[in-house]
Formats: sequence, structure tokens, C-alpha cells
Amino acid sequence: MTESSPVSPELSSHLAQDRPDAPKPRSSPRFSVAAALSEERFFLILSVFIGIFSGLAVVCFRLAIDWTRIGLLGPAPEPHTLRVLFIPALGGLLVAVLVVHFFPLVRGSGVNQTKAALYIFNGYIPFRTAIGKFITAAIAIGSGHSLGPEDPSLQIGASLASALGRRMDFSREKLRLLAPVGAAAGLAAAFNAPISAVLFVIEEVIGRWSVGILGSVVLSAISSVVVVRWFLGAQPLFRIPALTDFRPTELLAYVILGIIGGLAAVIFAKAIGYLRPRLRAWPPFTQYLQPAIAGLIIGLIGYLGAPQVMGAGYEYIDQAMHDQFTWKMLAILAGLKILATTLSFVSGTPGGMFAPALFVGAMLGGAVGGVERHFYPHLTGTTGTYALVGMGVLFAGFLRAPMTSVFMVVEVSGNYSIIVPVIVANAFAYVVSRTLQTVAIFDLLTRQDGLDLPSLEELREQTSLHIEDAMKPPPLPVLNSDETVQDAVDQTQSASSNLFLVRIKPTGWASITREALQRFLNEGKGEMTLGSLLASQRLPYLHPDYPLEMALRYVNQTPLVPVVSRADLQRLEGVISNDDVLAKYRVAME
Amino acid sequence: MHELTLKPFTGRTPLVIAGLTIVAVLGFLGVSRLSNRFQEQKKALARHLYQRALAEQQSNPEVALQHFRTALSYSPDNFQYELSLARTLRDTGRTDEAETYLISLWERAPQNGAVNLALGRLAVRESRIDKVIQYYHNAIYGVWDSDPEQKRLDAWFELAEVLLRLNARPQAQAELIALSVNLPPKPESLLHLADFFFQTQDYDHALSEYGRVLQLDRTNPEAVTGAAQAAFKLARYRTAEHYLETASKVNANNPQITQMLTISKLILEQDPFSRGLSPQERSHRIRTVLGQAGERLDTCFKSQASGSNAGAPSNYLPALRTQWEQMNRMLRRLGSKGESGLADEVMDLALRIEQQTADCPSTTEDQALLLLAQSRAGVEQ
Repeated sequence: MTESSPVSPELSSHLAQDRPDAPKPRSSPRFSVAAALSEERFFLILSVFIGIFSGLAVVCFRLAIDWTRIGLLGPAPEPHTLRVLFIPALGGLLVAVLVVHFFPLVRGSGVNQTKAALYIFNGYIPFRTAIGKFITAAIAIGSGHSLGPEDPSLQIGASLASALGRRMDFSREKLRLLAPVGAAAGLAAAFNAPISAVLFVIEEVIGRWSVGILGSVVLSAISSVVVVRWFLGAQPLFRIPALTDFRPTELLAYVILGIIGGLAAVIFAKAIGYLRPRLRAWPPFTQYLQPAIAGLIIGLIGYLGAPQVMGAGYEYIDQAMHDQFTWKMLAILAGLKILATTLSFVSGTPGGMFAPALFVGAMLGGAVGGVERHFYPHLTGTTGTYALVGMGVLFAGFLRAPMTSVFMVVEVSGNYSIIVPVIVANAFAYVVSRTLQTVAIFDLLTRQDGLDLPSLEELREQTSLHIEDAMKPPPLPVLNSDETVQDAVDQTQSASSNLFLVRIKPTGWASITREALQRFLNEGKGEMTLGSLLASQRLPYLHPDYPLEMALRYVNQTPLVPVVSRADLQRLEGVISNDDVLAKYRVAME
Repeated sequence: MHELTLKPFTGRTPLVIAGLTIVAVLGFLGVSRLSNRFQEQKKALARHLYQRALAEQQSNPEVALQHFRTALSYSPDNFQYELSLARTLRDTGRTDEAETYLISLWERAPQNGAVNLALGRLAVRESRIDKVIQYYHNAIYGVWDSDPEQKRLDAWFELAEVLLRLNARPQAQAELIALSVNLPPKPESLLHLADFFFQTQDYDHALSEYGRVLQLDRTNPEAVTGAAQAAFKLARYRTAEHYLETASKVNANNPQITQMLTISKLILEQDPFSRGLSPQERSHRIRTVLGQAGERLDTCFKSQASGSNAGAPSNYLPALRTQWEQMNRMLRRLGSKGESGLADEVMDLALRIEQQTADCPSTTEDQALLLLAQSRAGVEQ
């Protein structure tokens, strides 16, 4: 991205080249595909198919990665071999050529591209992106670049869903939501964990819970996982060791893990955030060399004795959880993985950061657990327990998806007894990361790409304003509908306000001005009750807990809206006016 | 480029769904083919790595472990690979990880004998006797792929052996008794069982099992020797003498057999409680026993005087000498008719003398006298 252009070259090309081809969403809200089925129902059915197709694509993607890895690096990468040294560099070179010449859109985060599809491009993701991501990520990961298959899987799923949806003449709203539905399917298939995938997409892509979208996301995630398990088996990505119950006092050990994990996440995110724009600012010809140089450094790390950092590394997470490494080795691997992943990612090599984050978390968790148990041997947590909690910690601290991070660990481990340490450690990691790195990694990448996508983290943490924050005490006196006009004039004589609320019995509210009261009196209606005169002039009312924006619907219709108790609609809690609402928003903005 | 849309089908939802279903089915078929091909390749690779691991298992277990792991990663459901990996992990001391694999296998096939045996062996390393018995029993009554009878027996013998090693003798004895009922009448198995009984110091069952072996193979040298030793331990000296004579012919150069035979003969010759002895003969034996005890005392006194037996409890010896002299005088005074009534007292005194002079140099006769005194009621008639 250059200084003059606010939008990255890839996204510029997305806008310039792909947008004209993109079918325009149907303007009519009525869905014409089904006579018998509503658009809503058909969307749900289509979600199942999106799940199936995404599952099939992810199976092929994983086979492609494995095939490439076996073919290029052999059955198991061994240190001190030339192929380990050079293959990542050659793979990087090939990927660079493919990216520069054929698939420029495959760079960057699949999560952000899916968000862009949702918020900017009406659900449109070019199908070419899916193909490019499939090929380039398979080569990159298969040749040993330190990246994971989850993010590409997510994008492949989103791209497939987008392509399928475009052929269906959906409404604009549904078309937009197809990409997240596909993303959930892709991620669920990659993780073999549907709940975490659904949560992640809700938490990081869509940003809101809605019954309509939730059903589709769940259906697509479940069907894709079924497909993946059909072909690749139901075994998890790594074996979970026997987990023991912990003592409450041991939570302190997990707090320490959370803090250290949070710091590691900050280092990881800052390194990417610092290097990525700088490397992208280098002359264009270096785009060919950057992935190759990153690959060469990763190959060197592998050659010198740490081939574990190459590729996604799930098998090594498995080994870490089973005490295969000393705590020193685990700490070294965590550091090297941060370095290797940073290099791979900032060089523009396509691939995801989910698996590396889990790898770093597992190694760091195991290392911290090892050190803690060295000094306090009575701690009951095994290395596996700490590694598992560590994965959640990095997920919370680096990817800043706190809810997904908890459920992912629980879903992957299948053990609910670990949930308390996970929540505690993740909360600390999240707070540390949030404090030291105010912008989450996905938002950082988005801004570097020149896009202005909503930061879901900021939205989550945004303070929402309520009626009670803006309402004011009611103008006195409050009149009753059974009082006569004469009584009302007498009561209001000394009042400063010109507008008075009238409590209509048995329920309801109205308002009356001093002038109106005087007019009724002059017309000889002094003995008539207010209720008989104001029967057809009911005011809308609000409750104190309503969001403030709800007041905007009414404050233009009437100068004063009564705010009443939910328990007793005749009890006035306050009043709210247009000026009150605007004043509150002004204060909030400041 | 304009994209193909399904708009022609709009209004025909079933057709759209049918079309999608067909594409999904075709996709399934295509991916199945691809996946099967890849799975076959992976399995072939896994087989190759497994063979390499087996070849390296003894000489280089670390390399073997790596190959086992890689083989398993390419064929994750392979029971044999996982079991081999778990065994190697256990043998290289990585018990935690081995246990994880084995528990995973056990959950898949709780009836599998090999898995239960491996878990049992793991429990042995951790000295968890209850788990040892549980898993070995599962193995004994579990399912085996080949030669199940022999493998069950092997597991049972192994259980007895590990229980002995873990100092759980009563449990070992119980297992052996249960095993003896189920053991087929083969000399090798029976001999093995008898040896185990002997190790658990259950000489009665050991003698019985050696006897069963000899019924099947009269000249089995191990059985004869074992039976002789068991009978000797049971103080059945006449039976022992019988077996020892046979054993000494087979193992002529075995000094232990020779000594045991000599001791047995001496005991049988000196036993004053033997049935059918004439009063004179009984009297003679009692006097012989007392005389021998006296000689023992003399020898011990002399060795003390020469300083060669500094550790002997010298303070007891004078008292024993006094008691011996009183007993000797009593025997002389009573004459041959009254001596029989003093047989128990003489033997008690002989036992005390032998015990108190245990640190003095002893002869075969002394050993015989000690054994005779210890088990005078138990000496086989």
C-alpha cells in the first residue's frame, strides 16, 4: 500500500476488475426462486449445500497440503537435510510467481476478506480467489512455510458460498450473509470443530447474534464437519492427554500463563503489524523474493534442528501435549514459531495464522507449565493441560476472540473440567493484549489494507446508551385524568413549565400545555375532566432500559416522551426530549 | 465475463435442489476417489515406515519411535502401529505418553488382550498392584489374534512373576493356584508352574506340581530336583531322600544336591521319633543327638578360645554347657528305659545349642541336627 492510495493494490483490483463482473443483487425484496419455499427456508437448505461443498473443498485442500508436503519434504522433515533447507525457499518463489501473476487477491487474511465481502462487496468474493488460495496455500504450507490451513479454508468456504449464492437471485441481505455462512463451513471443516467455527464467525465476522443467520451458520458448519469426518475420520487434530481436576489455588499458575501468553501475543501481533507495511512498501520486484527469503530463513531454522516450526505443526502440538519436549525446547519452539510465522505472513505468502497461534500457545503453555512444576512439583496440571490452556491463551490474546478461545479448548479437549483455568488464563491474556496492543490483529490488517471495516472488538466493547442515561425528571405537577380543568389550572399556576403530563387511567399518558388548559377554561369546560378532553391524544411511552436510539423514533412526534416503570405503567420515572437525546450523544462522542 | 446463473430454474425449487444434490453426489464420488487413492498411498508409506521402525526398535529406539509416530500419522486408525508405538514409548520410559496411547486403544477395544497386557506392564512400572491385576486379568480373559491359549498362559505366568517381583506374594500364590486348575497337562507348563510355587515358598503346591510333571515325564531332571528341594523344604526327608537320590544320579556334580541328600540321610538316621524303633535304638539316637550337641558346644568353645569366632554370644555358652551336663547326667541316671520320655527335652536343648552356636563353624551333621530339632514333629515318618 502506498501513501497516496488509501486502498491496497489487491483490493483496488478487486474493486476495479471484479466489481463490474459481479452480478448486481436483486432489488426486489421478494424471492423468486421458490414458489413453495420462502427465501428464508431456501437459504437454510442452501446452507447445508454450502457446508457440503465447503467440506469437500477442504478435504481436497488438506489432501493437497499433505500430498505436497510428502512430495517435497518427505514423510517427516528431518533436520540437516538439504531439502529442508531449500524447499521452503523454492516453494516461496513459486507461490510468489503465482500470486503476482495469477492470484493477486489471495494475499492477506481470509477473515478480513470475508468481512469485506459482508460489509462492502454485497457478499461478493471472486471464485478465482478460492482457486488461488487453494493452490498457493497448499504449496506454501506443504513446502514448509509456517502457516496454517484454517484461514484459507475459511476463505475457500466463503468464496464457494458467494459463488453459489450469486447464481440464486437472493436479496441483497441474504447475499451478504452467504460469505460468513461459507466461512463458518470452511473453518469448521478445517478445525473439525463446528461450535468454535460458528462462534468465531459470529464473534469476528458477523458481530451480532441473529436467529436467521445463526441457523444457517450452524447448518453449514455441521454439514461441512460431517463431510470432513466422512473422508478423514473423526479423530481430533491432536490427542488430548488425560486431564486431572485442578485445585482452586492452582489458578494462580494459570494466571501467570495468561499474562505470559498475553505478552507473547502482543509481540507476535506487533511484529506483524510493524513488518507488513514496510515489506509491502518495498519495490514491486521484491514481491517475488520476499516469500523465497522467508522460506530460506524458515528452512534454515529447520535445517539447524527445529523442523517442528515448518508447516501447520499439529503433530508437534500433539507431541508437546504428551511431554515430548523439555520446557526449554518448548520455549525455543514458541519463539521460533513466532519468528517463522511472522516472516511467512508479512512476506505475502498465503496462509493462515490460526494453527501457528495454537502452536505458539501450546509450546508456551507447556513451557510455562514445565517451569511452574519445576518450582512447585505439587501442581496437578500436566504439561498437556498447560499446553491446552496455552492454546486458548494465544487464541484470546493474538486473535482476540475471547469467547471462541474458551469454547475451542473445551471442544477440542472434550473436557469441561478445564473450563475454569481456560477462562481465567484467557481473560488475563486478553486484558494484557488489549492493554498493550489496542488494535486487534484483524483490525490492524484491515487498516493496513486501506479498508474501513467495523472493528467487532470495538463494537463489543462499545458502551451502549440507554434511555435512563438521557432522561430528566418530569415537569411538575403531573396531572391525573380524573381531575377537572379548573383543578389543573389551579395546580399549574405556580409551575415554571408550560407542558404537563397527564396520567390517563387505567393506563396511558397524555400531555397538555398551559395554553390549552386556559383555552378549555375560557370555553367553559372548567368542570370537565382532563380524561374526557384528552381521550384521543395518547402519548407513546418508553422504559428506562430501552436503548437510547429507540427514543429517536418518538422524540420528533412529541416534545416530551414519558419514561415509565415496567412494573407500573402509571409510575413516571422521568421524561425525555429530542434535546436530551442529542445532548447525550454529543457528550458520548466527546 | 457473464457468470452462469440458475435463474432459468427459478420458480422450480425442487429442480434447483435436485441439481445441487447431483453436484454434491458427484463431488462426493470424485473426492472419494481422490481420498481413497491418497489413503492408499499413505498406508503404503505407513507400512514402509513401520517396517523401518521394527528394524530399528532394538538398536535405535529413538529412531524407531520417530518412524512409528510418522507411520501412525499416515495411518491414524492402525491398531498395530499405535500399539507398537505405545510399547516402544513404554520401553523408553515415556510412560505418560504410552499410557495415553494405550488408554485410547483400550477405549477402542477394551477386550483386546495385547492392549491390556501392555497396560498391565505399564502399571508394573508404576508398581500399581491393583491396576496390574486388573489389566493382566483383562489380558488373561481377553481376545488374542493368534495362539490365544498360549498367550493367556504366558500372561498368567507373567502376572505371577510380576506380583512376586512387587512382593505381593499372597496375590501371586492366589494366581498360581487359579492357574494350576486351568493349566493343560504339559510337562513344560506344569514345571513352570511348580517353579513359581517354589518361588512363592508354597512348597506343598510346588511338590504336588513337580509330582504331576513326573507322572508325565518320569525322568525330567528339573522336576526331580525341584521335587527333592520342595520335599526337603517341607521337612519330608524320606520323600526328599527318594527324589534326591534320583536327582544325584542325573546331577552327579551338583554339590547342593549331594549335601541335601547327606543331610536327609543323617536326619533320617538320627531321628529319635521315627516309628518302629526299638527302645535301644531310640535311646541310642537320643544319646547320639545329645552327644552331637555337646560336641557342637566344645567346638564353639574352642573356636572362641582361639579367637576365630569373635562374634559368638559367649555369655550363653556356659549356661548351655551346664544344661547339657545336667541332661547328660539325667540320661545316665535314668538308663535306657527312661530316656524315651526325655526325647523332647533333649531335642529342645539341641535346638537351643544349635541356634546359639550358629556363628560357629558348622558341619553337615550340625545342619542335620538343627533341621531335625526344628522340625522334629514334622519329619516324615
